Amino acid sequence: MESTKYTQPVALSKKQVDRKWWEIGDFFRRNSLWMLMYCTGCCAIELPPAMTSAYDMERLGMGPMATPRQADVLLVTGYLSLKTLRRLIYTYEQMSEPKYVVGFGSCTINGGIYHDSHAVINQLDQYIPVDSYVAGCMPNTEAVMNGFVDLIELIKNKKANGWKNYHTNNAWYKKNQIDALGEVRIKDEFHQ
Amino acid sequence: MIEILMNIGFGLGVATFGFVLQTAMGGINRKIAARLQKRRGPKWYQEFIDIFKLLSKRATSHGWIFDFGVIMALGGIIGTAMFMPITSSIVAFEGYDNFFIFVYLIAVGMLGMAMSASGSGNPLASIGVMRALTTMLAYEVPFMVVVMTIIKLTGTSSLTGIAVAQQTGDFNWFMIALPLGFIVAVMSLMGMLGKKPFETYIAPAEIASGPMVEYGGKQLGMLFIMHEITIFIEVSLFVHLFLGGAETIIMFLIKYFIVYAVLNLVSNVLGRFKIDQVVTFFFKWPLFFAVVQAMIAIHLGWVI
Amino acid sequence: MELSIEIFILATLAFGLMAYVIGRLHKQLGSIMTILGSLTIFGGIAYLGFTGGLTGETAYLTFTQFEISEFGLFFAIIVSFVFAMVSFFNPFFIKQYKYPALYSMLFMFSLAGAIGVFFSSNLLYLFFFFEFVVWTSLFLIPMGRSKKAASWYYGFSAAGSFMLLFAILMIYNANNGSFHISGIGSVTGTTQIIVFIFMSGAAFTKLGAFPLHIWLPKVLTNAPDPVSAVFSGGLEKLGAFVALLAIVNMGGIGFIIPSIDMYFGQMIIATLGALTIVFGTLMAIRQDDAKKLLAYSSMSNGGYILVGFSMLTSQGVAGGLYHIVAHAIASTAAFLAIAAVARVAGTTKMKELGGIIHKMPVTYMVYLIAIISMAGIPPMGGFISKWMIFQAVIDKGMIFIAIATVFGSIGSFLYVFRPLAALFLGQELPQFKKTVKEAPFFMLLPMIILSLLSVYTGVLPGVIIDFINKIFVDMQLNYNIVMNGFAIEGYTSGIEGVGPSLLNPLLIACVFGVGVFVAFLIFIVLKKSKKIDLMDTYTAGNFVYTEEHLHYSVDFYAPLERLYEKYIHIMKNFYKSLANKVREFGAFMKYFFFTNKPEITVFWIVALMVFLLWGDVL
Repeated sequence: MESTKYTQPVALSKKQVDRKWWEIGDFFRRNSLWMLMYCTGCCAIELPPAMTSAYDMERLGMGPMATPRQADVLLVTGYLSLKTLRRLIYTYEQMSEPKYVVGFGSCTINGGIYHDSHAVINQLDQYIPVDSYVAGCMPNTEAVMNGFVDLIELIKNKKANGWKNYHTNNAWYKKNQIDALGEVRIKDEFHQ
Repeated sequence: MIEILMNIGFGLGVATFGFVLQTAMGGINRKIAARLQKRRGPKWYQEFIDIFKLLSKRATSHGWIFDFGVIMALGGIIGTAMFMPITSSIVAFEGYDNFFIFVYLIAVGMLGMAMSASGSGNPLASIGVMRALTTMLAYEVPFMVVVMTIIKLTGTSSLTGIAVAQQTGDFNWFMIALPLGFIVAVMSLMGMLGKKPFETYIAPAEIASGPMVEYGGKQLGMLFIMHEITIFIEVSLFVHLFLGGAETIIMFLIKYFIVYAVLNLVSNVLGRFKIDQVVTFFFKWPLFFAVVQAMIAIHLGWVI
Repeated sequence: MELSIEIFILATLAFGLMAYVIGRLHKQLGSIMTILGSLTIFGGIAYLGFTGGLTGETAYLTFTQFEISEFGLFFAIIVSFVFAMVSFFNPFFIKQYKYPALYSMLFMFSLAGAIGVFFSSNLLYLFFFFEFVVWTSLFLIPMGRSKKAASWYYGFSAAGSFMLLFAILMIYNANNGSFHISGIGSVTGTTQIIVFIFMSGAAFTKLGAFPLHIWLPKVLTNAPDPVSAVFSGGLEKLGAFVALLAIVNMGGIGFIIPSIDMYFGQMIIATLGALTIVFGTLMAIRQDDAKKLLAYSSMSNGGYILVGFSMLTSQGVAGGLYHIVAHAIASTAAFLAIAAVARVAGTTKMKELGGIIHKMPVTYMVYLIAIISMAGIPPMGGFISKWMIFQAVIDKGMIFIAIATVFGSIGSFLYVFRPLAALFLGQELPQFKKTVKEAPFFMLLPMIILSLLSVYTGVLPGVIIDFINKIFVDMQLNYNIVMNGFAIEGYTSGIEGVGPSLLNPLLIACVFGVGVFVAFLIFIVLKKSKKIDLMDTYTAGNFVYTEEHLHYSVDFYAPLERLYEKYIHIMKNFYKSLANKVREFGAFMKYFFFTNKPEITVFWIVALMVFLLWGDVL
């Protein structure tokens, strides 16, 4: 039988306190995922039904946001050509931390039907860290919703650590980016 | 001295109350809108989650003016909310709840936000501020004319004074006594709250949410708190001016809910004006009605 | 200690001459004399004025008469203070002028003239000093950007002076040959109306009020930067002084309009004041030059003073007087801040500037406080005066005036924000990253003093309200502003059971402070944010490397301007066509009178002689 006598509460170390705060923060973060939709591919067409009355993602606390600074989740909906990839990386780096990435469709996993194109990258994970994938070409709307729920579960289990990996393995990501693009930031005909 | 500190504590309580009330109200109204669209909608406390999430994130800052503006914005709005009466007897600084304080002290908050947004160096933010100020010029003039009519009639610019004048039966509720003015005030309130069709300065798809374009994390969270308290101030101002204030907190909550919910429903079925349409709209009919109402009420003395 | 006011005037003139002599030898030293001189004069007048040591006896200038009145003192303190503050800028700007020694002298001379106007009890010498100010300040203007502005100033000032002179002669006639200032109040009948019209005309030209406002933006834009500040904060207030004499001192003019309980004459002034507010606001919104914008804002604020005076109630007149103080402080500070920027950046065009705040934070704060006061936002002085004017307007139930005052008040947020966003904030343009640096200490000092005073007038209005009450007693007006502790009592409606409206600026400032403190606490306990560069900003994924592309400063309020840009030239076109008509008339006269044929000239001479002789016979 447990003693009912008052015991002095053990003072938590700073690490433990931080962890507690982090868990509380995680609760808020997973219940309020604001999306930045990077709609380059065909999978973007699955988002309207997911947002409107058929599937209603607002019940998960999700909603669209206008700029990367405000958003938590980056949705990459489909194939990425080299031209868009550099912009995606720029956008991803502008997001405030913690930040998550969801890849849509087979294009982000292995290139999908564009796997042999010279202008399209095959694996998104090589360039920016992806937390959750939604497979399919194109994925069903149920699958999209499932992907979001998966992401929420990942955050709950502290496994959505892509943004930390981007810091720790930054050299590797940068190398892949440079290999594919030459340089991430460009000076093209519009920017002398 | 102690008394003043008590009052300030009381005022901070009012501001907190306003924040909690409006944040919950916002969630509930999101739910209502969702139900109308055959959706389940978010939890009623969704807006709290959103704000706390933002506060928990690591933000980016564009220099000291960016942060200073946010502090000034939230500070100004909290200060304004501290003057707000909730019922005729629950008021932090009795006798000093002058109408003009609400109109002008709120402007400090607005100025702070505008300053901070421009300080971010994003042109979309400046465009958003430009639109916000232009909208303000549009809706404020008819609204002030109506309120000046009320002040002239009741003989006081104290908000509780105006509310009491309606409760004691000197006047009907001003929504009945000044029907034209009431219509004008409703339209102006839509503009103040930034509801559609007057949400031109937010316009997420066009100018990427305008003034808020560069905010994320705690700065955005603080601006959300500021936004909620601003809505609290504006809606309660409306309740006290036109719906006879409130004798009890329950009445206040009911009136507040009705005003906010109705405006929300109206705004949900409307599209968005262009910015010059906003200006021409407000300077056409609302201003005309406001002047007609003022003429009728002040010079002819016809008050229902 | 007792000193006569003529000592001050003579001393100012002496300082001016000294500044000239020293300025011939060394430019900077001459301008430093203006600092010493104006500070001494301000200190002396303020100290002796408050202790009652000023006298009006004349020992040297025996032909004039001076009288120490409270309202003269009020104006003299404000104007000499503005001169003293602005004079700190002279040494830094003196190199830009063609005639530095003359500048220093004229600067002091115009101060002497202004003091003379405020204390003269003889209307003829009041006119003399009035003209003295015009003639001295006239030659300050062309040392700036354009000479043409001076001719505009001269044209309008001449019209104003003639109107004043005519009014004075009418008063002289009506009072059996007395030029004493108290005669203004004792004229009656048609003479009163004519005197009222002409004196208001003189006030309108000096104040730059509609429809005689054309010179103001031209002068304030093109004059040297410190002179613009002097004009806006100081010399414009001469107009307010004459307006006070004309509108308030003369009492109600014409018949009473029953439904609003206002005299017809005052109603006209209020309407013109309201038009001034609206015109000034609309024009200020669309300016690109920061100085021109502030010039139009001065015009619009002059409208508030006129509206306040013309209400003829305690609240209104006190509001107008308070607005003179608040606007003098705020507008001087704003002009000085812009001048400080212009000195290092070389321009005041907003489309060429950007991101100055990163190098000049103190100047920015000064400008911020000044515009908060100008826009009438608490806790600054401008709020209190606008609040009192609002109270007065509502009390009278004047809807259209109310629309104008509200429009001007909200519109002022728009235009004062423009330089803030385009000039100080926004992207830091590369051309200013190296060249621009914060103003030196002696330029910051007056600006900081002015900022502190802006806050002081907005938080503790008691001293100035007391002064205004003394002015009311002195002018034998039946007005009074009651202070209830730290709170100002607004108008009392007379409805039973309803107390007066209260405004407690100290409380507002405290509560605002508490709010900011709470916000600061929230800010500081949360995670520290990551510093990023200004160029690292949301561009929808595009790479932009040029600062100008991310700086929104040209045509800031374009959608709003588009709505009224068709109508902005009405007044200018009116004056232009008037000038054309005068020219045509002159050509016509010339054709008839000054032809090359001697016989026609002789004929006209004979005709004129006959006419004159005939007139004499009759």
